[in-house]
Amino acid sequence: MDGDGVMISLLNLSKTFSDDKHTVEAIDGFSLDIQQGEIVCLLGPSGCGKTTVLRMIAGLESKSSGSMKVRGKSVTSAGSDRGLVFQEFALFPWRTVRKNIEFGLELKTMPVEKRHEISSKFIELVGLTGFENVHPGKLSGGMKQRVGIARALANNPAVLLMDEPFGSLDAQTRNLMQKELLRIWSATGKTILFVTHSVDEAVFLADRIVVMTARPGKVKEAIPIGIPRPRDRTSSEFISVRGEVLSVLEAEFEKTQIRELSGD
Amino acid sequence: MSALHTIIRRFGRFAKSRRLQLSAGIISVSAFVVFWHCFAWLLEYWDLSLQEYVPFPIEVFEVLVYSFVHEVPGMDLSMGVMALASLKRVVIGFTLALIVAFPLGLLMASFRFVNYLGDPIIEMFRPIPPVAWIPVLLVMLSVLWGPVAVVFLGAFFPILLNVMFGVKRTDQTLIDAAKTLGARRIDIFTKVVIPSTAPYLMTGVKVGLGISWMCIVAAEMLPVLGGGVGNALWTSAQQFSRFDVTFACMIVIGLMSILTTGLAEQVERRLYRWMGME
Ligand SMILES: Nc1ncnc2c1ncn2[C@@H]1O[C@H](COP(=O)(O)OP(=O)(O)OP(=O)(O)O)[C@@H](O)[C@H]1O
Ligand SMILES: [Mg+2]
Repeated sequence: MDGDGVMISLLNLSKTFSDDKHTVEAIDGFSLDIQQGEIVCLLGPSGCGKTTVLRMIAGLESKSSGSMKVRGKSVTSAGSDRGLVFQEFALFPWRTVRKNIEFGLELKTMPVEKRHEISSKFIELVGLTGFENVHPGKLSGGMKQRVGIARALANNPAVLLMDEPFGSLDAQTRNLMQKELLRIWSATGKTILFVTHSVDEAVFLADRIVVMTARPGKVKEAIPIGIPRPRDRTSSEFISVRGEVLSVLEAEFEKTQIRELSGD
Repeated sequence: MSALHTIIRRFGRFAKSRRLQLSAGIISVSAFVVFWHCFAWLLEYWDLSLQEYVPFPIEVFEVLVYSFVHEVPGMDLSMGVMALASLKRVVIGFTLALIVAFPLGLLMASFRFVNYLGDPIIEMFRPIPPVAWIPVLLVMLSVLWGPVAVVFLGAFFPILLNVMFGVKRTDQTLIDAAKTLGARRIDIFTKVVIPSTAPYLMTGVKVGLGISWMCIVAAEMLPVLGGGVGNALWTSAQQFSRFDVTFACMIVIGLMSILTTGLAEQVERRLYRWMGME
């Protein structure tokens, strides 16, 4: 590992989407360093480029300019050192839970027994024991995302990128999954970059919350969250930090709204 | 009031039941047979010299049962043998179409260059109805392989086009997921694109089978070695004016089409169950 412990290093990153008619500046001058083992939550108004940043780090989208390094190496394409967890789960419907989790291992042509051993470990870690041979279609949303997380982790990635992974879950399941994620995080020590719309979720999970500006997105403010874990949502400390983050975010929301009203 | 409710509820449950579906089916088919019988009887009664074209249902049924093992009146083969001969041609032509169209569809939809090469040719031949090929194929390949070639052409395009459509409809997030798990292009093709094409392939197979039966009937109209239901259909009407036999042939073709489609649906169900996509 790098001596300084920086896992992800983004410097002056920008991304412009363009087709025949339109060009959209999604990201401009985005700079951020993420330490190894850190949980960073990315917050920002809708359409500010959160997903774009994540997809770029995952290697699914190319950058327009700037530099983007993971463990000191420039990102050029997708690879199994960066696991991505999708809001819409993106499980292979024709594969069982176990087969989904073993997908990445199959690609490494790992022997079956070894594959089995690893998948069993992660099935247990995410609490899906007993569901190994079930297809995703039969699982609830929360369970599907457990598979999504286990599938990403089975590849032993250096970083876990999560794009609103709990966004489509109901409130109870969502709170449970947040606790589960922290449990998994303390068991694996992964670096996590987590996109969310929920300030509450961000304050509950993050070591650091990064608030983005409206499009073209860049870092507006990085707020370290010093509340010791396990965090209590009803504590006065939690509530005051949440208020602080919310006010930073709301200023940005207003800008988007004004821009939309003025027809930009 | 509550009695009325009970009746409505009972009827509602009955309306959804399988028994109702079955009884309704039996009623409508019986009604059709009765109507047919009355129609044939009326033609005979009025004596408009049309009666020979419309046999009684019982006559058709009799000749169907009789000729299944005995020789078909006017011909030297039994209906069973001819049905088998037609079925064989359909199976061969259809299987060949499947073997060629499935991989070709996958390749054309996945690789732009293959598409650029193949697409103009496909678009050139696709608008030509498969039965338009009958004269040239029968003369070129003789009546033995001609019908098989016509079936091949008939089944080829539905399979090809459905597979191509299926590949294009592959969920992009699944491809992205595979990429982040370390998949190379070939892995994406074999582990994501091909499995997600399965339902579209099955649609192509079912449509292709239906068209195969249309093609075989038309392609067998000329005398064909080993006989065929299409040929019996035509000769019985045109040479012998045995319309009871003609109708019997029509029923046999319909039954075989139902049989093969039913088989394809069975395969489809198994495939979906195996893939966990019930
Ligand atoms: N493939 C693309 N082609 C063109 N424009 C795109 C593409 N992907 C994203 N964009 C645009 O880039 C901007 C940022 O999109 P992105 O999805 O990253 O935002 P986001 O912050 O994730 O939004 P949300 O909160 O709604 O998920 C948006 O204006 C979007 O329309
Ligand atoms: Mg997004």
